[in-house]
Amino acid sequence: MNGYPVYLLTRLGQFALVVFIGINIAFIVTHATPIDPVEQSIAAATQYGSTSPEAIALMRQSLKELYGLEGGPIDQYFAFWRRVAVGNFGPSLSAFPTPVSVLIGRALPWTVSLLVVSTLLTWVLGNLLGGLAGYYRQSRTLRLGGLLAMAFHPIPYYIVAFMLLIVFGYLWPVLPISGGYKMNMPRDWSWPFIASLLTHSILPILSLALVGLGGWFMGMRSLVSNIVTEDYVVYAELGGVERRRILASYVMRNALVPQVTGLAMSIGAIFNGAIITEQVFGYPGVGTLLVSAVYAGDYSLVLGITTVSIVAVSLAVLLIDLLHPLLDPRVRAR
Amino acid sequence: MSEQVREPVLVVSDLRAYYRTSSFGVEREVRAVDDVSLSIEANEIYGLAGESSSGKTTLIKTIAAAIQPPLEVLAGSVVFNFSDRRVDIHAVDRRELAAIRWKHLSYIMQGSMNVLNPVRRVRHSFVDFAFRHIGKPMPEFLQVVRNHLQRLHLAPDVLDAYPHQLSGGMRQRVTIALATVCRPEFIIADEPTTALDVVVQKGVLAMIHEIQRELGSSLIFVTHDMSVHANLADRLGIMYAGRLVEEGRTADVFRSPRHPYTAHLIASLPRLGDTSPKKGLDGAPPNLANPPPGCRFHPRCPRASDICRRETPPMTWLAAGHRAACFHPEPEQAA
Repeated sequence: MNGYPVYLLTRLGQFALVVFIGINIAFIVTHATPIDPVEQSIAAATQYGSTSPEAIALMRQSLKELYGLEGGPIDQYFAFWRRVAVGNFGPSLSAFPTPVSVLIGRALPWTVSLLVVSTLLTWVLGNLLGGLAGYYRQSRTLRLGGLLAMAFHPIPYYIVAFMLLIVFGYLWPVLPISGGYKMNMPRDWSWPFIASLLTHSILPILSLALVGLGGWFMGMRSLVSNIVTEDYVVYAELGGVERRRILASYVMRNALVPQVTGLAMSIGAIFNGAIITEQVFGYPGVGTLLVSAVYAGDYSLVLGITTVSIVAVSLAVLLIDLLHPLLDPRVRAR
Repeated sequence: MSEQVREPVLVVSDLRAYYRTSSFGVEREVRAVDDVSLSIEANEIYGLAGESSSGKTTLIKTIAAAIQPPLEVLAGSVVFNFSDRRVDIHAVDRRELAAIRWKHLSYIMQGSMNVLNPVRRVRHSFVDFAFRHIGKPMPEFLQVVRNHLQRLHLAPDVLDAYPHQLSGGMRQRVTIALATVCRPEFIIADEPTTALDVVVQKGVLAMIHEIQRELGSSLIFVTHDMSVHANLADRLGIMYAGRLVEEGRTADVFRSPRHPYTAHLIASLPRLGDTSPKKGLDGAPPNLANPPPGCRFHPRCPRASDICRRETPPMTWLAAGHRAACFHPEPEQAA
């Protein structure tokens, strides 16, 4: 584990750089949009009556302060970073005057739990089944599983989401099709509330998992069918090592290394998937929030969500990367 | 090591192993091992020589029961006489094979540079392969392994290394230690030194020899490097195109090769002080999917006659402990 601290520091440095560049791009993009939040707020406030020009000027001044739009672009840039540092993105435009951070804080747990559960479930299940299918190539059940995984894999996840809605919400209505939990239910963490949370999350998780499963399954299966011809696997078989031990410690263990890299790479794409899935199922997460923010031209909310998602995705990738050397000793050696 | 007469440890009789494939209705049969019979005594080193694709690796894979489709055993048997049991290796089930492997029969693989699991420490390989045979609790087992490594002049701390941290020669030594830790009665070595440079090769060969003498095991090894055979083997078998063509004590085969193929093989070896140009043999080894009738060497053989084109020459004893499959063997050279 000699090189690990060095690896950790390098990786942390990369993380900081990625977050910095990402947030800069978010800043540039939002400032390049034609929407001026100050003018929009003023327009909204003065819609129903005349206001004196002095009052409007005063309003404009305080709104600019609120949104961090005082001074030239350079001043705005530094003001923006001061706000990012303390996590204050100003008030939301569409839900004025609720602060953006409160809105995101409310939506984030939904998205994070949805993504963590569906990603881990997909990854673990896909790799496990794919590994078994690659190792026990004669098994009919696993071959059928492979066929199903391949059939689902090319379907876009939003189509799968709609299919699930039709099947479980209309043809055989057993599962709730919209929302995060039953409407008007007290959020008291009682058993009925938790049960309602779980049943509401089944369809969104399923729509993400069904599609993702195939990719991991097929990837793992082909990795494993290569690894079983490697010398160390053949040798372990010649040595009479237990088959289960060979599968776990020799085959899967080696195949996991690239699959962990794949997981890190897929996390960005999963976030995109969650946006549409949340829309389809009316899930109260960040994706739904982002879409309504874009429609409402809610500049600070979009900037806030973008920043949070940049940090979240980079953080997830960082965590996975830090796991990597623990799986493959060769990454540790420098 | 007693000198009492006992049965050979390994008896291979009329072994026939073909690669059989069928793709789009086209059957193809590659006769990699055809009618090979040989036996190996206790405490004997048997070298198997021959050029690439002569079937020597297929033969020892079949002996080790390490066969997978498309390789199939069509006829013959491979019987081991171990101290406590007699095993027809192709007739026993998986469980019994697992019980024999490493305790009685171990294997040093071709390209053993990559035979250790790259993501786990070397210690785990010893545990996976040998723990079930030693029958001791883990700390004592590891002590046995450490003692064994020390006996082979390896530092016991290689156990805590990952394979990539060891050099090629070290990895090969560790593999030999792994193959011998259960004191097997029979060791199969497939090109144990092919990937190593000559200096490391010499050390590894000495190590194999030393441990074999100490354990009194039998060893069959394959290589196309005749100098390795000259150094290590007690007896030598020469394969050509899937058949055993000559067999005898190493010194006898080198001094007086009887099969024309062996004669050419040995004449092609460079010797110190010998400046005569080396002749190559015309032609190429036959395609084993469609071998020539009769003696498989006849298209390239300077001594071939009509009978060689019609009939397969049987293995015939030409001198004590020296046999060859040829109708017109080379005359015996005086000692």
